[in-house]
Amino acid sequence: MANDKNAGSGKLGTFGYNALALSIFILLWTIVSWISESLFLPTPWTVLKSFLDLCTYGDVEGISLGMHIFKSTLRIFAGFVAACILGIPLGILMGLYPRVYDSTKSVIEPIRFIPPVAWIPLVIVLLVGFSRYAFIIWLGAFFPIFIGTLLSVRSVNPTHIDVPRSFGAKRLYIIRKIVIPSTLPDIFTGMRVGMGIGWDCIMAAEMIGGENEGLGVMILKYAELIRIEDIMVGMIVIGAIGFFINEIFIFVERRVFKWKEAIVIS
Amino acid sequence: MTNNYAEKMKTMGLNFFTLAMVLVLWTLIAYWQKSPFFATPYDIVLGFVQMVTVGDVEGYRLWSHMLHSLVRVSAGFAAACLVGIPGGLLLGLYPKIYDRTRILVEPIRFISPIAWIPMAIVLLVGFSRYIFVIWVASFFPIFVSTLWSVRQVNAVYVNVARVAGASRLFIIRKIIFPSILPSVIGGMRISLGISWMCIVAAEMIGGQMVGIGRLILKSAMVTRMDLVVVGMISIGFVGYATNELIIFIEKRIFRWRAAVSIE
Amino acid sequence: MAGRKVKIEVRNLSKHFDDLIVLHQMDFDIYEGEFLCVVGPTGCGKTTFCNVVTGLLPITEGSITMGGEKIDFKKHNVSFVFQEPSCIPWRTIWDDVKIGLEIRKVPKKEINERVSAILDLTGLTEFKDFYPSQISAGMKQRVVIARSFVTEPDLLLMDEPFGQLDSSTRFYIENQLIKVWQKTKRTIIFVTHNLEEAVYLSERILVCTQKPTGIKEEVIVDLPHPRDITDREFVKIRNRVTDLVKWW
Ligand SMILES: Nc1ncnc2c1ncn2[C@@H]1O[C@H](COP(=O)(O)OP(=O)(O)OP(=O)(O)O)[C@@H](O)[C@H]1O
Ligand SMILES: [Mg+2]
Repeated sequence: MANDKNAGSGKLGTFGYNALALSIFILLWTIVSWISESLFLPTPWTVLKSFLDLCTYGDVEGISLGMHIFKSTLRIFAGFVAACILGIPLGILMGLYPRVYDSTKSVIEPIRFIPPVAWIPLVIVLLVGFSRYAFIIWLGAFFPIFIGTLLSVRSVNPTHIDVPRSFGAKRLYIIRKIVIPSTLPDIFTGMRVGMGIGWDCIMAAEMIGGENEGLGVMILKYAELIRIEDIMVGMIVIGAIGFFINEIFIFVERRVFKWKEAIVIS
Repeated sequence: MTNNYAEKMKTMGLNFFTLAMVLVLWTLIAYWQKSPFFATPYDIVLGFVQMVTVGDVEGYRLWSHMLHSLVRVSAGFAAACLVGIPGGLLLGLYPKIYDRTRILVEPIRFISPIAWIPMAIVLLVGFSRYIFVIWVASFFPIFVSTLWSVRQVNAVYVNVARVAGASRLFIIRKIIFPSILPSVIGGMRISLGISWMCIVAAEMIGGQMVGIGRLILKSAMVTRMDLVVVGMISIGFVGYATNELIIFIEKRIFRWRAAVSIE
Repeated sequence: MAGRKVKIEVRNLSKHFDDLIVLHQMDFDIYEGEFLCVVGPTGCGKTTFCNVVTGLLPITEGSITMGGEKIDFKKHNVSFVFQEPSCIPWRTIWDDVKIGLEIRKVPKKEINERVSAILDLTGLTEFKDFYPSQISAGMKQRVVIARSFVTEPDLLLMDEPFGQLDSSTRFYIENQLIKVWQKTKRTIIFVTHNLEEAVYLSERILVCTQKPTGIKEEVIVDLPHPRDITDREFVKIRNRVTDLVKWW
């Protein structure tokens, strides 16, 4: 497994190889779709054109791609913020009072194991419009955040709590200065996971939920019309947004860690 | 010991109490609301009995829905393991290949598996649609966790075998494979959770009339809220059971990790 | 030492990690059946030296040959006690110790006999069904030593093997090591920080310089075993080695 050649000494760096791989892929894709002339395999240029058309003229109902993106992200944002507002404090509270969680497990755990997507029909019946989506996202994002926070609080080193307590620190002080900083990384991880599930949920909710706007319903509409190139555009946009959100989380996480380290050093 | 036991009994009692409280509250609200959209726990029990004995509005019984969902998830999940584990192992052993072609694989990871459903509807038919969606959903967690864990295998264990003159195959079988197994199974557990979510979405959107997701959706359309909840509980139960199964297998295989504790 | 048969020839050996020159033009021989100690300051490249001698790491320049050919684990019987903990966590003590014999496809009956014998010798018999996570760090080190002895290697490398052991176990295993060596006359390369240990065990000590590492001096320890650490000759040699490493 040891490699004799020094890494990176080749003519092409890792970046170069990636660029090469991508070009070959696009070239192959173009050639194959040209030769096959199949409805199911549009050329990259068709996809690009679809993208431009979707941006300028909008979809079959004239709703532009920007609008779809806006709707989906707004829904996600609302549900996600609600999940954080509820999940983090509740997780901290139940982590600090393990009794409460241990004696309500019989209610919480079964709900946790029902996939959030399974709630969609129920929510369609009981709620209307925007609240449907927000609720589903909330449900999907809540449990990773809540459980992540809770487990993290439970695993805070007890001596870290006992030391300030022995100095007569108030409870609130301990929570603010000890519990929250030490659980912050886990809370963040929970938020990232929650956001991922939130994306899955919004896709499903938009496909099933009945409204006309949103990326999920957009690609489903085009599936009915068998317009692969437009589906591809939608999927690429979904992937790109997912990627950027993930990057934002990673960026903030790094920032948070840096700040923590700086405190430790000084 | 007795103290511990008493504590356990108390927790259990409290759990029963909370559950009972929730059920009573639920019943009261449902009675007070008198709305067709609000099934009482009793309705749900009746709905369950109906699902078991007679079946849903189209006569499909509960076990048939469960079986269909289970078969779809198992098939897609197995396919994902079959491709993801060897693939992850291979690219983990030859990290250069992965590093140099990442740009083709990585972006796909960020497309939500549910966003593949329309594509599957267009390109595939019947059973294969579901398998494909589940495959996409479970492939990445398994593949990525395998790949990363291969990179993190402790070099000393490999060297122990190398110095003793071990062949490549021995090293892969007896050193690398056991090293990565915990993360692989961890990835499988995550995959399975995502799969259960995706199968529900796929069944709701995908067209066949049987499957727990479909049961939930079609019951909702005729406002049989009791059957909706029965479906939700069933999917929760199946998800829970399969998760427990993996944890059980984990504990069995990883006796050597007992001290490190899995959960 | 003239007249002894050369086992390993090290010629003009250099090892670089990118720009870092670790080993620089080392030239020496290791004799058949010799007990050789290598001492040197921390980070000078002792572990790296062991890794290149065995061929676990590629050489930048020069050559290392054993009986005229490159060292090949499939042909030569080599054992290595690594510096870092190297018990395999998913194998029981028994299975861990037998791994070398398993790889060499030794018959099952013989494996059983040899593993039992070595576990007896190292006092591990009652722990044979334990996993490494269930035993202490010192015991793990004993497992590793047992594992490297059980294959009866021609060449045994030990990279600071006794650091984790308490002094009485250490003393016991050191004596055991000497006995095994005297009986079997295997070649042993022993890396250590502990000068007294080096003088106590070896026939010859290679004192290394700081990076880029070369050999500062060879010290011959021509004392009969078992050695007495209060013996005048012993103290003299120890002081000499201590003087040599003052500049560490
Ligand atoms: N794989 C590697 N890549 C780059 N540098 C390395 C590598 N392995 C070792 N080094 C460097 O080579 C030098 C020698 O390391 P080595 O582990 O051989 O020292 P050592 O003499 O065994 O030290 P110690 O007595 O502490 O065990 C160190 O400066 C180390 O940083
Ligand atoms: Mg070392």
